[in-house]
Amino acid sequence: MSDAPTELDELTITRIFEARPEVVFECMTTPSHLTHFWGPIGVSTPLEGIVIEPRPGGRFETLMVNDETGEEYPVRGVFVEFDPPRAFSFTEAGVEGAMMTAIVFNDLGDGRTETVTHQTNVPPMLMSPEAQTGLKTSFVKFDAYLATL
Amino acid sequence: MANDPLSQTFAALADPTRRAILVRLAKGEATVPELAEPFDVSLQAVSKHLKVLETAGLVSRGRDAQYRPCHFEPAPLEAVTDWIARNRQIWTERFDQLDQHLWRMTRDKEREP
Repeated sequence: MSDAPTELDELTITRIFEARPEVVFECMTTPSHLTHFWGPIGVSTPLEGIVIEPRPGGRFETLMVNDETGEEYPVRGVFVEFDPPRAFSFTEAGVEGAMMTAIVFNDLGDGRTETVTHQTNVPPMLMSPEAQTGLKTSFVKFDAYLATL
Repeated sequence: MANDPLSQTFAALADPTRRAILVRLAKGEATVPELAEPFDVSLQAVSKHLKVLETAGLVSRGRDAQYRPCHFEPAPLEAVTDWIARNRQIWTERFDQLDQHLWRMTRDKEREP
């Protein structure tokens, strides 16, 4: 059992952007920016459907609209952490149990920013404010090889 | 909503002992005493973990009344990997578009008189 990793990591995405952390953070937390890129391909995020209350406990809501069918996907998130330009995280209750997303912005020092996005499905018993504080720093991580078993 | 299959799978996987049990079972079936042996836990504790894994559909038990060997069932993990793939796709497209958005911002700034 000694070779068994002890952590799970549901989803981790690392990206490097050609802009400083302040700029990338602002883009990801300002409605007039979000409307330009938030919806994945084929999905729009109208400006009037975006609500950002930039503080822990504040709302982070978007309404994504399928360009072809008009189908709407409302996302009602609540910020757990809001710490510009270093990090923010939010939870979405009722999405496959409950979802926790956290994005950390690392200053690469040369005008670029590395973002690390963690997304995990959080069991409801971990949704208390106390538990969420703990989750900010220690995500339930995914064994890469469990997925390959 | 907490009882949907994906949540159950995630909850079952959230415990290191249960993950270690799964890793062991992925190598072949085992009885409860065999599973308990490498861990510093009681047979009752292992049985409890197995119940959670069974409820999540990750483990099935044989019919042999005395031994009831446990089998690893990988199907629920596929739902998890599907979930991961879907969300990875969304974030990748989102970040591709953010890349373009940042590029347009820089370009527009340079064009300012």
